[in-house]
Parts: sequence; structure tokens; C-alpha cells
Amino acid sequence: MMRRFDLASYMQKNPWAWSAAAVVLIWLILSATTGRYSLSTLSGIVLSASFLTLVGIGQMFVVATGRGNIDLSIPSVMTLNAYIALIVIQGQDANLLLGLGVALLLAVTIGAINALLVVGLRIPSIIATLATGYVLATATLLANRMIPGFMVSPTLNYIAGARLAGLPVMTLVTLGVVVVSTFVLRFTAYGRMLSAVGQSRDAARLTGIRCGAVVTSAFLLSSLLASATGLLLGAYINGAFLEMGQSYLLQSIAAVVLGGTPIFGGAATAFGTFFASILLILLVSTMQVIGLPPGTQDMVQGVVVILVLALAGRKAGLGRARTIPALKTEAKAT
Amino acid sequence: MAMTDYQLPVCGPDSSAPAGLDASDPILSMRGIIKRFGTTLANADIDLQVRAGDIVGLVGGNGAGKSTLMRILCGGTPPDSGSIAVAGVEIDTGHYGPAEAQRLGIRMVHQELSLCSNLSVAENFYLESPDHTPITPNWREAHRKRARAALDAVFPGAGIDVNAKVGHLTIGERQMVEIARAAANTDLRLIVLDEPTSSLDQERSHQLRAFIRAKSETGTAFIFISHKLQEVIDIATHVVVMRNGGSVWHGEALNASIGQLVQLMGGNVDALKSHRKPSVTGPSDVAVRISGALTELLGHDVDIRKGEIVGLAGLEGSGQKDLLHAVFAPGRAGHKGVSRLGKAAFIAGDRTKEGVFSLWNVLDTMSIGRIAARNPLALVSDRIEREAAIKPAAQLRLDEARFASGILELSGGNQQKALVARALMSDCPILLLDDPTRGVDIATKQDFYRLCGEIAQEGKALIWLSTEDAELLTADRVLVFCEGRIVKELCGKEISEEAIVAASFSHQAHGSAKQVAAKSGAGRLGRSLMASAPFIGLVAVLATMMLVNPRVASVFGLDLLLMPALSLVLVAMAQMFVIGGSEIDLGVGAFAGLVSVLSATLLYDNPPMGIAAIAAAIALYAALGATIQARRIPAIVVTLGASFIWGGIGYSLQPTPGGSSPEWLSAMVNWSFDGLPTSVILICLIGLVAALIDRMPLGVTLRGFGNNPAAMTRSGWGSVRYAWIRYGLSGLFGAVAGLSLTAINTASDINSGNSFTLLSVAAVVMGGSSLIGGYISPAGVVAGAVTLSLIGALLGVLDVSSDFNAASQGFVLIALLVLRSLMADRRDEQ
Repeated sequence: MMRRFDLASYMQKNPWAWSAAAVVLIWLILSATTGRYSLSTLSGIVLSASFLTLVGIGQMFVVATGRGNIDLSIPSVMTLNAYIALIVIQGQDANLLLGLGVALLLAVTIGAINALLVVGLRIPSIIATLATGYVLATATLLANRMIPGFMVSPTLNYIAGARLAGLPVMTLVTLGVVVVSTFVLRFTAYGRMLSAVGQSRDAARLTGIRCGAVVTSAFLLSSLLASATGLLLGAYINGAFLEMGQSYLLQSIAAVVLGGTPIFGGAATAFGTFFASILLILLVSTMQVIGLPPGTQDMVQGVVVILVLALAGRKAGLGRARTIPALKTEAKAT
Repeated sequence: MAMTDYQLPVCGPDSSAPAGLDASDPILSMRGIIKRFGTTLANADIDLQVRAGDIVGLVGGNGAGKSTLMRILCGGTPPDSGSIAVAGVEIDTGHYGPAEAQRLGIRMVHQELSLCSNLSVAENFYLESPDHTPITPNWREAHRKRARAALDAVFPGAGIDVNAKVGHLTIGERQMVEIARAAANTDLRLIVLDEPTSSLDQERSHQLRAFIRAKSETGTAFIFISHKLQEVIDIATHVVVMRNGGSVWHGEALNASIGQLVQLMGGNVDALKSHRKPSVTGPSDVAVRISGALTELLGHDVDIRKGEIVGLAGLEGSGQKDLLHAVFAPGRAGHKGVSRLGKAAFIAGDRTKEGVFSLWNVLDTMSIGRIAARNPLALVSDRIEREAAIKPAAQLRLDEARFASGILELSGGNQQKALVARALMSDCPILLLDDPTRGVDIATKQDFYRLCGEIAQEGKALIWLSTEDAELLTADRVLVFCEGRIVKELCGKEISEEAIVAASFSHQAHGSAKQVAAKSGAGRLGRSLMASAPFIGLVAVLATMMLVNPRVASVFGLDLLLMPALSLVLVAMAQMFVIGGSEIDLGVGAFAGLVSVLSATLLYDNPPMGIAAIAAAIALYAALGATIQARRIPAIVVTLGASFIWGGIGYSLQPTPGGSSPEWLSAMVNWSFDGLPTSVILICLIGLVAALIDRMPLGVTLRGFGNNPAAMTRSGWGSVRYAWIRYGLSGLFGAVAGLSLTAINTASDINSGNSFTLLSVAAVVMGGSSLIGGYISPAGVVAGAVTLSLIGALLGVLDVSSDFNAASQGFVLIALLVLRSLMADRRDEQ
């Protein structure tokens, strides 16, 4: 059956298209009006956005599990891993495997603890991840005292900073993660299970899905990706500093929501998160270029997030009214 | 509506007035009410007249349209067309809400109880009629009196403590409170009771009926909805029978009998039997075995075999549903005595909540059943799923062309078919049906019965819970439940509605609805232990510090230690009111920082403008809260975004720390009274103010919203309005926190409030406020906030690096939450 291409319904079915279109539009306007934008500045923006995308994808998996689930420990996980990399790898590729092993172990541990608190003890994720974030903040402070110097692994530095045929290697890695995530979400049983769990725990459980396992996997993915981003970001900036993860808290959530993943969960779009990350970084760097004062830049970021949510909120309201109390716990299994 | 051939005298609405009563205008007249939900016609042209003193029994199966009609009557849902007149006055149905209905003297007791479980009985009476509240500290007393009087009037001798929290009452007691609350109102014209006796024992049920009779003689009319037909016939003066959205019979109760009413309510069951041939099965085909306490009264185990349809019947909530879930997940705790061989698929009748996935299309909804059984990394292809779906869909007469439609676009009946198709696709030998024909039209129902017969013929075991006894005539066997046990097994020809009804009631005489004792000793001990935990923590921290460093115990020492806690206590109070509404504010710290900047710059330079700016900030903050409520958007993200706005404004005003504190402001923290530590007095004062607000009618209303917003709206309270008030209150505390920062630091820094945001959440949680909303405890939050801000000092005294500050706070928070979660588990099990 041939059907006429319908842009409106295409956009509705592919929420990532909105942020992609916004990126292109803003880019065209900026190039035309200021003449200062070139493809190379775009690749710089895409590079910065790649770090955000990686953590954003992790946050996206958590948000997709529904019930207002969210991972607030992401910034601490990132920062701690950047420090661990400095301490364990010490700038030697020979120590790289060991460093990766430690980072992996750390990520799995943190993800498992978050999942235990949220799934096992039914503590609302916002509070549970807040508490683990506190503990990790202290770990970071301790790590800060132990760093032998700001030497980063050449391999990591290459991945984070080098370019391949004009494209940042980091971006290629990120795109790989985005493609794999998209594939997993769309074409595997796991993707379906995640979506089902996010839409309705009760209905998902009654189809035989193990909801607890699915939610756990999302928290594991989130801390794994945050951990990897921390390693790479540390390598990119040649070191680590205590506040390096901080800006990723709001931005990772904003990237998920702007990208078209419903904050109520039940669906996810990795490409949406990718384009929304570019959009956010583009927004920030544009504001820097046109010389907006830092305070105003913050205000604009906040206003954009609230506006998008308020508009998306109405869209959701047209369907079934879904409200989520911020502090919903994982329901008891029976 | 096709009339059946049961010979019942039918009288039209005009002749329905009992001869004795005066034939004045009916107090309620609904005419031509039509209401559609999607493709379902919930109310098809319904007329209903009620006169003063009438007791109308409204009966009908689930999905017959009773609840919709009553919602329309009480202003919960507008009708698509039709008119409503109360006491002869036409109502504009477009502008008719719960508050309007209450003004007209119409009250409804809902089946899903609309009490706030976090509030006391008396406070719930307040929520229903706030007008009678005196403005005194002891305002509750008036409502206590009303509550006591009302309970005694309807249920003499029930002995319900009006000061008890509703959540601590048994379900039966809650139902009594709900009924008494509605009946306590003056100027009542009409009370609608939806399944009022479902949780009441025989004695209370009699009391209620006696009350209704007495009250109706004074002119109040009642609409009595119940599945317990003998109660309806006993109490009602008139009976209205509804089926599939239409009213199929109405007449005087004297002329009705249970059997006739049942037949009027049900479908044409005789036609069903012909579809079914009893299947021949051997003992080797056992699919499910039920034994233990469940079958104790039966005297033998129950085996369910392949090829069989086994019905589960009984009054709602008698344990049928538990059995279904136990068969689905036999391993779980509390599911003893049930074992199954082979996989089971669940087909939920509560489709919206337990069946469909609102974002998916029909094919996705169907295929998830078999996908769920796969390895998570197994591939899913729409093409293969479609092929697998074609056969079951054809069998179900579900049009293949609709596979791509959103599942919610389908009618209830077709949604149900999709769920059955899901079960068939997953190829499970055992199908569990949880009231699958709920809200499904009669034609689809007939289709459905035929289909179940076919599926059973194919050798599957069907366990079918139904709330419509009539449809169980299609089953091979029926297990009748009463109070959590199987009391009767009916086979083949023994199955009849009379037998099912008789068995449903057979064991009810000796006991009431299960009384769950929530007040056991251990539970109370646990609760008071949890409630005092923040204070024990605070005392422990202070005592340790005094032991290590005796100078802490001096006035100066305490003042020095606790002054920094002042701002956190204030921010925590702001956060507490938000969390009390089941939301969370991630911008409150930044907001306090902004107000601090405003006070050290604008307020210092130009007081009138400074005051205006701070007032504007509070208004903006309140507006944000109203937006969250009005647009139903998640508070977490909005307030996180807002934190950037507050910070941005503050940074623009004052990029680097600086400014000065107005003298009067500094003076507010630099006084001393009789040698007492100033900070302690101030902190206690703040706690007192917050506690007072919380105890005021306003605080009770806010907590009501935190617990049960739907019920609050039904009682006529405006949710957006109270979001304004809640966030306004919270903004006020946040602003004072900002002022205190300026006063204490004698300067401002936009970042000074940031660390308070997460700490305030921790303080509120530590203080014993419930995460689900509606439970807040100002004193506990004060203790929590002080403890958290003392942790840094404690570490200093103990010679531990301040690096461990955050971790200690985190661990304290986790430990408390884990403890509370474990305590909650224990309480659930009791």
C-alpha cells in the first residue's frame, strides 16, 4: 500500500527529527547572519556534544523505565572516574587495561548499588541516586589528594581528541553507541521489554517481563556510560577537576527530554538525545559567541528546558492524563 | 433496548411515584443522557427520575454504565447530550462540577474510597465541609463533634476513634467513615451510595439500611448501587436495571426478585451452553493444582486440567484475584498451595491498568507476550511477529488491517481480543482470565464465549475470573470463593447463578470482611521508633560532640555551631511543603541564593525596590508551582531548570560575592535573650511556625492533596489554586532562608544556597516525612536539618577530614531509608 509522505505524522513518530531540524535551522541562521560559523566550528560543537550524548544515553535508559526514574549520581560517577584514570593509568598505556578494569568495576558497583536501593529497597530513584552521589563526592575528594599528576593515557587522549578524516574520533565512538542503542531499542526483545516496563509496570509484569531486572539494567548502563564518559572527558581536558561533572546533571536530563524521550518513560530515542545534545551545546556556544553574560546564558538554558516541558506536557495531556509524583517508588512486585 | 421476555410489571417514569407520597416535582430528573468513550457507548439515552424520599436501587453488571451515569450526576464527567434538573431547575451541564453538585445537596460515596488516609477521621470530615471551621487553635474540635455525631447516627456502637488516622482503620471502618461523612451534611437532597456495603459485616449493613430508611422518611433521597441484590430489594423503593449502557427495566422494588434482576442484568446465557462440549481429559493432563488453606473448606485438592474452563466466582475481593495471581507467579511469598505445570499467560480485564501499553500499536501489544519470554538480546522483527499474529487474529476475528493502529484507538472489546491474541501467540497451555469481559459490549461478549470454548477444545486450560455470575454458565466447573477460600466446587449441571450466589454468601454469616489489624504492638513500636529516629540522631551527634569537646555545651559554643544550621532549616521547611505535595524542588537552594543576592544588593541600596524584587521572586516561584500542576509536568526537571534561572538572575546582578547586609537584617540574628543561644531560639521558632501552618486547616488541606489529589478534587478543592499556595508558602520559607544567609554572612554569594538543595531533600526525608506525599513532620525535619549541618562539625571534633562530610551525609540518608524500607516491609506482612 503506497502512502503519501506525511511530514506531520513522520515527525510525531520520530521525535528525534524535531531536535535535528532545530539544529539545522539554528545552524543556517547563525551561518547566514554572523558568517562566523563554518563546518569546523560545527565539528567542535559536535565533539563537545559527544560527551554529553554518551551520558545522555545512559540517563535516557533510566528515564525510559518510567515512574519518574532518574539518575542524579551521573556527575559524581564521571568525576570520580576521571580521577581514578589519573591514579591508576598514570599516563601510561601499559596501565590502560587495568584502568579500564577498575573503571568497569566501579561503574558496575555503583550501578548495582543504585539498582539495589531503587528496585530492592524501593527508595525513589531521585533520593537513592542523590545519596550515592554524596558518597561518591567524598570518594572524589579523597581521590583528588591521591593523584600523582595530570598525565593522561595517550590512547584515551587520542580517542577523546584526535580526528579521523576531519571527524573527531570521539564523535565516531559516540555515534557507534547511538547506533547500537537505537538498534537495541528498536530491534531487540530488550528494547520492547524496556518500553513495556516504562509504560506500565503492572501490565509488563503480567506479560512475564522481569521488571526489576530491566530497571536494574538501565541503572547499570547509566553508570557504565557515565564512567566511560568520565574517563574520556578527563583525557580530553588533560586531567580532572572536582566540578567537571556538575554541568552534566541538568544537561543530561535536558538532552533526554529535548530529544523526545518522554519523561514519563516507556519510549526512548538515542538519535533524539544525540541531536538534542548538539542543540544544547550549540545554544551554549552561540550565547558565548554573541557575548551574552554567563548569568543570562544560565537563564536561557533554564527557560528552554521549562518551555519545552510545558509544551510537551500539553501534548501528553491530549492523550491519557499521566501524572507522576516525583517520589514514586518501585512498586512491590505483588 | 431489546426487552427480555421476563414478565415483570413495567411502569414508566411518570407512574413510578408511590401513591402515598405527594407527586411533587422530582428532586432529580435526568433525561436522554448519552455518553460515549471512544467507540463505547457508556450511557445510551438514559432517563432517571428520583423523588424526595425515594430509595432507588441501581443494579447492573460491570460496564453497564452505572458509574458513568453517577459520575455525570455528581459533576465528575459532562454528558455528551441530555439534561439534568435538580429540584426542577435545569443545570447547565457544560459548567457543572463536583462543587456545584455539592451546593445542590448531592453527595456521593465512592466505591474507591475518597478519604485521605494520612489524615484523621475528623480532618476528613473537615475536607468534606470546611465551612463550619472556627478560626481557633482548637478548630478540630468542631469536626470531631460532627464526626462522632455522624458515626453514632449511622453506625451506633461502631466505636471508631475520630482522632485515628484513616490509614490505620480497617477497610470496613473506612467505609463507615466515608458513609457517615456524606450523611453528616445538612441540606442534603440526594446521597449516592456506590457499593456501600462491600466491606461491611451484616450488622453494620443492617445499621446502614436502617439509617437510610429513617433518613429517607425525612425527605432525603438515595441511590443505592450494589451487587448484593437481596440488599437492594430489601432497602429500595424502586429498582433500575442497567445493561450495556441502557436502562432495561425500572419499577417498584416490591415487584422484583433476585432471579429476575439477575436475568435482566445478564446476557442471553442459554445460547452459550450450546457452544460447549464437555472436554474429555485424563488425570495426566493436570495443569494447575490448588491445595492447602485455600481448599481447606472444600475438603479436597482442586486439579485443573487441560481442555477445561474453570470459573472463579464470589463476591468481589473474596480471594479469586489472589488465586489468579498465585497461579501466574506461584513462587512468590504468600502464594502457597498453588502449583502449575507449564507456562501461564495472563489476560487482564482492567485493560488500561494491567493490559495494554498506551504508546504501542496493536501488533506490538500482541507480540510482547512471546517476546517477553525470549533472551533480551534476541532480535525482534515486525514481519515475523506479524506472521505469527495472523492466525490468532483471524481466530479472534480481529482485523489484520488494524495491526498498525494505536491500541487505544480500538474499542474495549477489540483491545481485549488483542490481549487474548497475545496469550495465544505466546503459546502457553494455561490461560488466566481476569474478568475479561468487563466493559465489553454484548456482541463481543458472545463472540468471546464462543472463542473461549474453542481455545479450551484445543487443549488449553482456562481459569476464568468473572464478576458476572451469568457468564460462568459457560464454564465446565466453577470454584466459588468466600473470604479468601474456596467454599464450593460446582461442576457441569450444578452451575447456576442461584448456586453461585448461594455459595458466595454461604460462609459470610460467621465473619465480617477480613479485619486487618494495623495496630499491632510491634507495628506501633516500629512507628514510634521511626518517628523519634531524627531526634535520637540529633541527640547522639550533640552528645558525642559535647563528650569530645565540653566547650560545645556552652551557650556560645552552641550558638556558633547552630547558626549555620539556620538557613538549612529554612530551606528544608520550604522543601518539606513541596515534598508534602508529592513533588520535589531541585531549585530551592538556588532560589535562596537569589534572594540572598537581592537582599544584599537591591534591598540594601533601595529598600522599596528590594522588597518588590523579593516579592516578585516569590510570586514567580509560586507561578512555577502552578505551572507544574496545570500542565502536569514533572517537578524535578522544571525546578532543576528553574535553578538555572534563579542562579542566572543572581549571577547577572552580582557576578562575584559581595554586597552588604542591611543593618536591621543583621540585627535579627545578633540579639540575645537571657543568655540563651540565639540560633537555638530562632530554629525553634521556625519549626514552630511551620508546625502551626501544618496544623492549621490550610496545612491539612495541603496534606490532603499530597495524599489523594483525586479525592480532593472530588470534594470540590481546586488543585491549581493549592499548587499556587503550596509553592507560595515554600517560596516564602526559601526567601527567608535567603535573607538569613545574607544576615549571617553579612554579604551575599549566588552560590551560597546551592548545596542546600540536596541537603534539604535529605533533611526532609531524614525528618520522617513520607516520600509518597501527605506525611510531613516539621519537628523531625528541623532535627534532620540540624543533624545534617552538624555532621561537618562532628567530623571536625572527631579529627576526621572534612572530605568525609558528604559521604557521612549520604550514608546517614541511605541508612535511614533502608531502615524505613525494611520496617515498611514488616508492616506489610502483618
